[in-house]
Amino acid sequence: MKQLFRHLTLMVITCGFITAAQATTPEEDLKAFQNFYKKRFPNVEYLDYVNGAYAIDPVGRENWEAIEEFPPYEPFIDEGQAIWEKPFANGKSFKDCFPDGPALGSKYPSWDKEKGMVMTLPLALNNCLEANGEKPMKYKKGPINDILSYIAFESRGQITNVVIPSDDPRALEAYEDGKKFYYTRRGQLNFACAHCHLQNAGMILRTEILSPALGHTTHFPVYRSKWGTVGTLHRRFTGCNKQVRAKPFKAHGEEYRNLEYFLTYMSNGLPMNGPGARK
Amino acid sequence: MIGNTKKWIGVAGTITVLAGQFLISPAIFAAGGNAIEEGKKIAFDRKKGNCLACHNIINAPSPGNIAPALVAMKARYASKEELRMQIWDATIKNPESAMPPFGKHGILSEADLEKVIEYVWTL
Amino acid sequence: MQKKSVLISSLLAWMLSSSLATTAVADEVSAEKVKKLIEAADEARKQAASVGGEWRDTSKMIKKAKGLLEKGDFVAAAKLANKAAKQGHLGYEQAMSQKELKMPSYIHYE
Repeated sequence: MKQLFRHLTLMVITCGFITAAQATTPEEDLKAFQNFYKKRFPNVEYLDYVNGAYAIDPVGRENWEAIEEFPPYEPFIDEGQAIWEKPFANGKSFKDCFPDGPALGSKYPSWDKEKGMVMTLPLALNNCLEANGEKPMKYKKGPINDILSYIAFESRGQITNVVIPSDDPRALEAYEDGKKFYYTRRGQLNFACAHCHLQNAGMILRTEILSPALGHTTHFPVYRSKWGTVGTLHRRFTGCNKQVRAKPFKAHGEEYRNLEYFLTYMSNGLPMNGPGARK
Repeated sequence: MIGNTKKWIGVAGTITVLAGQFLISPAIFAAGGNAIEEGKKIAFDRKKGNCLACHNIINAPSPGNIAPALVAMKARYASKEELRMQIWDATIKNPESAMPPFGKHGILSEADLEKVIEYVWTL
Repeated sequence: MQKKSVLISSLLAWMLSSSLATTAVADEVSAEKVKKLIEAADEARKQAASVGGEWRDTSKMIKKAKGLLEKGDFVAAAKLANKAAKQGHLGYEQAMSQKELKMPSYIHYE
């Protein structure tokens, strides 16, 4: 009888929960998400989340700070600047597509009402190239990392501020789609993004500390020692999906675009500090 | 009490249990011993069981701490079958469990799974 | 379809009743069967993909099974095809069981 009562209570709580979850706004999601970390890591300063696992790993942080003294991503920034300034075959350049300059970090991802989709920075860069008769860049490796490094560097200090406009319900749909992606189990190993970077953030997986999702987007592109080069956010998504033995999705396809929209929104309020360096 | 009794009888040989409990070299007990040793190898293998990614095991190299340490298994599981269910698909018991369903999703073959259970049951 | 090919094969076997021909026909039957298994695996993979639930190695397994079939290793090819099909079914089931988003209990809304 007691047990039956317990089950019933549990059911009521669960039901109440699901209804609550369905009704939440992005603002409420953001608050609940950031509060989760506040409770998990009461001693971590909010602004320190831009430093990923190093915000919670003092030993790793020392190594990382030593690396940051001679940043491995520096040559990429210089190369990116050259690409930004170099004229296309038609005489125009990126400057013509982005007249406000290269500090574009906090403008993306954004909702493109005309196209009815989330616009990411790499997509916008490639749109510019194609509009000028140039070949688009690959989304994971190669020159895209140079120009993204330059843009990230120029955008340092800008505040993450993803907007989900209320005048187009498709924007909220895209956000909800990205949110669902984040909490959905995938692959043979049956992990959702949230299992590692929310539920078990700060725990040790073999020898690695699982980084908090809060702040994940602020430092891309990132120089990863494991890669030996700078890589994009969508390359990282691909790697995560492969690790859980799921087939990765297309870089800057709808799934990852919406995921980026949600994930970046969750870091709203944090300053941008790319390019970063990680293990 | 029933669980306690169950715990000590039958299941793949009391010998196996004793070997684990009193640290008698498993090699003496050829059949059970081999399965346990092989199970240990699979449990430690990063591409197969990789139990250590999340669980601590006494004297194991660089274990994770995501999930409970694998100790006192016979106190935590009433039977080997119950332990088997947990490794087969941990979300049956806890829908939010992060543990991969080693049996259900075929991460381990049936034969490997049985060996891992033999090993973990000795912990 | 399968019945038909078995029928044709039996007919062939009856017509050419030398032992050599029988082996060849048996191979043909096996090849046809394994080919069907591989096709079924690819269908299962596609079904999983249609709901975003495809697993990492399924298509690699199917490719490998095709290679084994070409080499005439029917047993290994069939085994692998079945494994791939199972992955397809599980990936589909995994995605479908999460059609509705359930927020985890550790995220607290005020």
